[in-house]
Amino acid sequence: MEESWSSTCATASKRNKTMATIAGAAAFVALAIWKPTVLIYGTQQAGLYASIAIPMGLVLGIVHIVNLAHGEFMMVAAYAAYSLSMATGMDPLIALIPTAAATSLFGFLVYRLTIRNALKAPELNQLILTFGLGITLSQITNILFTSQTRKLSLDYVSASVTIGELSFGIWSFVFVAAAIAMTVGLKLFLTRTMMGKAAVAVGQNPRGAAIVGIDVDRTYGFIFALALAMVGAVGALFLTKSSIFPGVGGPFTMKSFCLVAMAGVGNIPGILAASLLLGLSEAFLRVFRELRGWADIVFFVLIIAVILGRSLKERKS
Amino acid sequence: MKKASLPGILAAFVIAALAVALPSFAGAYPLQVARNVILYMALAVSWDMLLRSGQISFGIAGLFGFGAYASVLAVLRGGMDPWLSILFAALLSGILSFAIGLAILRLRLMYFSITTLALAEILRIIIHNLHDFSGGPEGVVLEGSIAGGNASALYLLSLAGLAVAIGTSLYFEKSKLHLALTAIRNNETSARSSGVDIFRYLLIAFVASSAIQGMMGGIYVQSYGFATPESVFDANFTLLPLAMALLGGIHSTIGPMLGAILLGLAAEWLKLQIPYGHLVVYGIIIIIVILFMPKGLYGLARGGRKSS
Repeated sequence: MEESWSSTCATASKRNKTMATIAGAAAFVALAIWKPTVLIYGTQQAGLYASIAIPMGLVLGIVHIVNLAHGEFMMVAAYAAYSLSMATGMDPLIALIPTAAATSLFGFLVYRLTIRNALKAPELNQLILTFGLGITLSQITNILFTSQTRKLSLDYVSASVTIGELSFGIWSFVFVAAAIAMTVGLKLFLTRTMMGKAAVAVGQNPRGAAIVGIDVDRTYGFIFALALAMVGAVGALFLTKSSIFPGVGGPFTMKSFCLVAMAGVGNIPGILAASLLLGLSEAFLRVFRELRGWADIVFFVLIIAVILGRSLKERKS
Repeated sequence: MKKASLPGILAAFVIAALAVALPSFAGAYPLQVARNVILYMALAVSWDMLLRSGQISFGIAGLFGFGAYASVLAVLRGGMDPWLSILFAALLSGILSFAIGLAILRLRLMYFSITTLALAEILRIIIHNLHDFSGGPEGVVLEGSIAGGNASALYLLSLAGLAVAIGTSLYFEKSKLHLALTAIRNNETSARSSGVDIFRYLLIAFVASSAIQGMMGGIYVQSYGFATPESVFDANFTLLPLAMALLGGIHSTIGPMLGAILLGLAAEWLKLQIPYGHLVVYGIIIIIVILFMPKGLYGLARGGRKSS
């Protein structure tokens, strides 16, 4: 009885999924014909969103911490890459490697000193703790670098391609590549390696994992450091394209959380799909002059719709 | 329920009398500082009122800004009396939060928190984009501050707002509501099974705390005579009350008040020492309090008295 119910459920959800895929593909094609720039810039933006959200999804899925300082860590990494390339003349793409390593180490230290001690505390405390970490990071950056915006001018960023009458910048596709690389890399890591499998086990059931001899504490620390290494790399990439200032990371915390919540905790490929939806809808609204100011609202409406939708679904089941 | 002790009541009366009499012996600058402290204290107390049910709102700035704009636009577009517009701001914030609450108070934990944060952003973006009605990004300017900008009057107005906040919070603490909210926070399932109408109590707490936040927004904007989306939806209106309540001690009325006085005065001093980035102190205080004294100063004092 129960089995048949769950199998009808599965077919129904499968049908829904196919329908959604078909509808999505149709919208994609229509968009490509009508406004190719929306498609191009929307996808690029989606790549940026996804590459910042994926590390948050990893931490939330395994360590079960909503890191409200997530965007601020990215901002700190961007400043680290900026300082490094200003001091040594290094290209931020090369600075990416030391930046990722340094951010990972820094994140690990912050984790050990603060978050680790609140793992068993109520969720309220964790939220407020990471909220406080975020403020501290952005304010320290404010003191060290002032609130002045900083930007590197790099030639390759303005690379563009012309197809027929259509001309567009291609550099930002690097974010799409980064997001895909992260998704594939994490998939391989979590399914093929011993450490990755252990991490998945810890994510599903920390007590059970501890019973079978997995060092839960070490796994948490490792996953946090791994996620922060990715955040560090994205921070350096972000610097190539955008101006940075102490508050630049904040909005990405919320966007990342929204995308992770949309995809469902533990579903990393889902983050790619959710990012695409967000990136394209924002780019779509920006086409219309009078709607341009409203593009920012899309995301917030989306997040509330998703959260409410999820809570409704949970109550039904 | 704990009876307030006689010395406690006496002390409260003395402090209240001093607060009311402050304009007669303090200059313009101390009054300005006091107004700031009062503003954040009212917000901190109102935030705590909902927190007692276990729901963390990150949307204080949203309701504050909404109340500010409700008040300023009622005066500018509707020709309302500025004093009345403050009550109007409270009422409209209450109605808005009632409607929102119906939808979002079924959410728990991080989902509720993030939703309140998102709602605050939505309100800001709406005001930002309704150029013709709200003045858009440049904001709107009133003809002048309320009461002609008289420093004592502005101070007393803020104090009246605070009195409403504290009064509501104390009433909540002494009434049946307190037991219900505490029960929800401690164990929702068992609260529900003993017949507590969880949703109704959450709604009451949410609407009351939002109306106070909206009212304080109205008082703020009428005191300064102008509003821009960036000034009244400033994230500090969420952050500072939160840090104050945490430092002083959550789940009480006195805790947030204590925190507001300490941090509010410290902030005035720090503003002069570190003009840019003095907010770092708030971040560090949040971290330290959460890690080492999650009950706050008032909690520590209370705990200490119990063990001795």
